[in-house]
Amino acid sequence: MRSNTSVFLLLFSLPITVMAQSARQETTITLPAGVSVDLASASVSPTGDLVAAICTDDMLRVWSAKSGELVRSLKANAGAHSAVQFSADGRLLAVAYEIVAYEKGTIQVFSVDSWKLEQELTSLPLYAVIFSPDSRRLSNTGDLGTEIWDLETQKRMARLSPPFGGSVALSFSPDGRWLATADQDTFVRVYEARTGNSHSSWQGSLLEPTAVAFAAGGKSLVVGRIDKTVSIVDPDAGKIIRELPKQPGLIWSIDVAADGKRALIAYNHGELSDIHHLTLWDLDKGTILTDFQKPGVNLVGGAFAGDHYLFAVVSSNQLTLWSLP
Amino acid sequence: MLTRRDMLQKCAALGSIVIASQFYPEALLAAFQESEKQLRKPTPPNTMGPFYKRLVPVNGVLRSPGDSGIPLDLSGQVFDTRGDVVADATIEIWQTNHRGYYDLQGYRYRGKANVDKSGAYRFESVIPGHYPDKSRICQHIHYLVQAPGYKPLVTQLYFATDPVFEGDPAKNYARDPLLQTPELIRPVMLTGEPNEVHAKVQFELCIERL
Repeated sequence: MRSNTSVFLLLFSLPITVMAQSARQETTITLPAGVSVDLASASVSPTGDLVAAICTDDMLRVWSAKSGELVRSLKANAGAHSAVQFSADGRLLAVAYEIVAYEKGTIQVFSVDSWKLEQELTSLPLYAVIFSPDSRRLSNTGDLGTEIWDLETQKRMARLSPPFGGSVALSFSPDGRWLATADQDTFVRVYEARTGNSHSSWQGSLLEPTAVAFAAGGKSLVVGRIDKTVSIVDPDAGKIIRELPKQPGLIWSIDVAADGKRALIAYNHGELSDIHHLTLWDLDKGTILTDFQKPGVNLVGGAFAGDHYLFAVVSSNQLTLWSLP
Repeated sequence: MLTRRDMLQKCAALGSIVIASQFYPEALLAAFQESEKQLRKPTPPNTMGPFYKRLVPVNGVLRSPGDSGIPLDLSGQVFDTRGDVVADATIEIWQTNHRGYYDLQGYRYRGKANVDKSGAYRFESVIPGHYPDKSRICQHIHYLVQAPGYKPLVTQLYFATDPVFEGDPAKNYARDPLLQTPELIRPVMLTGEPNEVHAKVQFELCIERL
């Protein structure tokens, strides 16, 4: 009689073989002894040149994605909630972290050319920070809600809060007009990014959305949930268009390529950590283009850079960059 | 034995309190007594996600006969920051089973309670397990407290007996990356026979007016 364990091992060993041939290891960076990078604490420049990470020794380090050479290190804060993000044009880097738990955060915006501190904003505590596609605005979200900032005036344009709980993911539409939030009260909401006025909302499930990203030039939203579903939603009508086939794990994050047709989905196979499985989808066909699984590593950040997805994983004291074609 | 009111009136008679007002001393003393009521600190918030599920039915008995894990009786009261009972609050809780897994299909170990006139609530459950991925997240129960006219409170209850704290939660609370204060860690009272241990935990909640 074949044991259940054997079936389990057979089922899960096959995709690992496939992924090893489809993803390419680009660069390996050795972190200082005793230093690591927590989940979602790294960002890859959309130009594919740099990778930045908030390290567990409270330092922000920036490396060349090609050579692995350390480009810059700055004092940061690797608290429970921190985030780092390059702008779409790669000129700016936002480094954000909590100052007072559940009360206050800070967002520092650096020029990547000079590493000069361009802006410092006092924000709500946060999970995530993103730039608008034109890099003129910035939005952050966390347990107390979402804020939208005008980077030219350094003024907060809007503060958005669901009736209870906060938000965990954000996405600007490609034209920068709309901002979508994945909210802990189980809604996905779309706001006018300039005013913060509500545009639409969608619920779809009794469980929380964990990832949201505009696709198809802003005509659709890709929404991932904790219940292993990914839905394509009309952001104007707040209605589901269709669902992708059942997903292999809890949805951790979704990134959509500039062409709006491909989406990178990262899965959580544990409860709150263990992010080592990514799939690249053709959204129009609803099919998987590439699959990456590597137990023992954790995804800490990634971005579409040209025609491939470049992402950073961490294991013990190594940060490794991989690319998916 | 002197009541608080008697004591205040005595203070007025002896000159410890000088009443210089056009209002009756009785009314002033009552207002003074009211304002002296013990102010409460709001319960610290804690992260909500990502396993909340909407439309949980009103149900205080989350433990079924034969369930594995240490039976847990969870109770407390809801107050506001002035120390007044909030009698129309609703409390939703959600937690893992004793092995560390949430039920995403149904509503196991998810419950909702309407507090009684004294702001009291009670749930029968089990002590939740650690997440199976061996992360640094301690055993916890999520709370969502809502009442008309009050800010919703999203928080979590932690257990002083969690081995991660090594018996000293005041010192070791920060081992859980999501715990910013030891205030959310509650003592656990064990009762019953050695082969049938029960746990009791009290968690008072304090919410803020809008």
